[in-house]
Amino acid sequence: MAARIGVDVTTPETRVADGPRNPGPDWGYGFLLGCDRLLPEGLFRPLRAAGTWVALAFMHAQRRHSREYLALVLPEAPTLRDVFRHFFACEEALMAKLRVANGLDIPCEFDPSAAAFEAWLAGGGPFLLGTFHIGASDMLGFQIGCHEKRRVYLVRRRVGNSGDTERLSRISGGCVRFIWGNEASELVFGLKAAADTGDAIALQCDRIENARQMEDFEFLGARRSFPTTIYRLARVLGRPVILTVGVPLPGGRSRLYGTPLFGLVAGEGRDAMRARAREHFQGFLRMVEGLLRERPYLWFNFIPLNPAAGAGAGVATDP
Amino acid sequence: MPDPLNARIKTMIVQTLRLEDIDPASIKDDEPLIGTGLSIDSIDALELVVALEKEYGIKIKSSEESMVALSSVSGLVAFIRQKADPSRLPPA
Repeated sequence: MAARIGVDVTTPETRVADGPRNPGPDWGYGFLLGCDRLLPEGLFRPLRAAGTWVALAFMHAQRRHSREYLALVLPEAPTLRDVFRHFFACEEALMAKLRVANGLDIPCEFDPSAAAFEAWLAGGGPFLLGTFHIGASDMLGFQIGCHEKRRVYLVRRRVGNSGDTERLSRISGGCVRFIWGNEASELVFGLKAAADTGDAIALQCDRIENARQMEDFEFLGARRSFPTTIYRLARVLGRPVILTVGVPLPGGRSRLYGTPLFGLVAGEGRDAMRARAREHFQGFLRMVEGLLRERPYLWFNFIPLNPAAGAGAGVATDP
Repeated sequence: MPDPLNARIKTMIVQTLRLEDIDPASIKDDEPLIGTGLSIDSIDALELVVALEKEYGIKIKSSEESMVALSSVSGLVAFIRQKADPSRLPPA
């Protein structure tokens, strides 16, 4: 079955950012959209590539982290061209997201592994939806809220240039709302309020930067720390979990991959749930690793890679 | 004489969050609950809020209330005292 990524409206509360994390200026998204309207793609794409080279030149830390990651997924040591392709893939994903937010309709197809997500999309429900910063995954919010009209809360950190977020908020017609995680008290209230609605809650599950509790999983040749936040939320809020990632395809389409449903088992103890959660997340990581081995530039991970076990970052905990 | 609600909240924090090596009485009244010595993060705080809601029937209605309620044990006790059904509170 195919769905389409489309658009409509939202309304976020606008609060002060805790400082820009994304590298671009706050007018950058408007500038890109303006150019997209005015310039033919044959001219605009080379300009975007040139802009990416400029970014590459100045973003030393991100370049280093890109190289570290690519060294794990490419068969040979990454070259500067590989790093550029990694940066450019991220830029193109952003551009696609902005276009979708601006009304572009992107066809989306489901891999058989995404059957649980597809079923949720058809029926809705108070699920926890997790994803990674991979490929077209960021556009899931648009698909869920704008086209399929499923109500979903996205957990985000407000940053200085949240233009895409604000735009999604405006166009989703109230289907996509945000839980801002900058302040712990704000996050707690937001999660509780969202849980009380029975709508889905979506969050990114790959980065450890804001997570206190993590566990180690086999990934890219080592045991690496990942946050277990989504499974902790599943236990606290009594909600099932589905993990998905979206991968762009030629011709402006995308394909969704996912996990089976991680459901709740009545009377299950914490340790048993933790073991099931580990198995579920490890299965997702195996799938993601397979995708990244085929499409290495699609994990937009320009921060330090999830540390390998023994690097001192992980704190084992129960979900 | 110790406040029974204060003591109950401290016990709930330890039990709900399985802080097995912490004596409830050792939790300071005015210490921030999140991100300090207790190592409580926002998901722990959410779990605590869910437990408190069940026990006292309270509801946090805004992020401002959340900030006040989760500021410290004292803040939480004051919030519960203000919002809970008095019949659910332990006798003073």
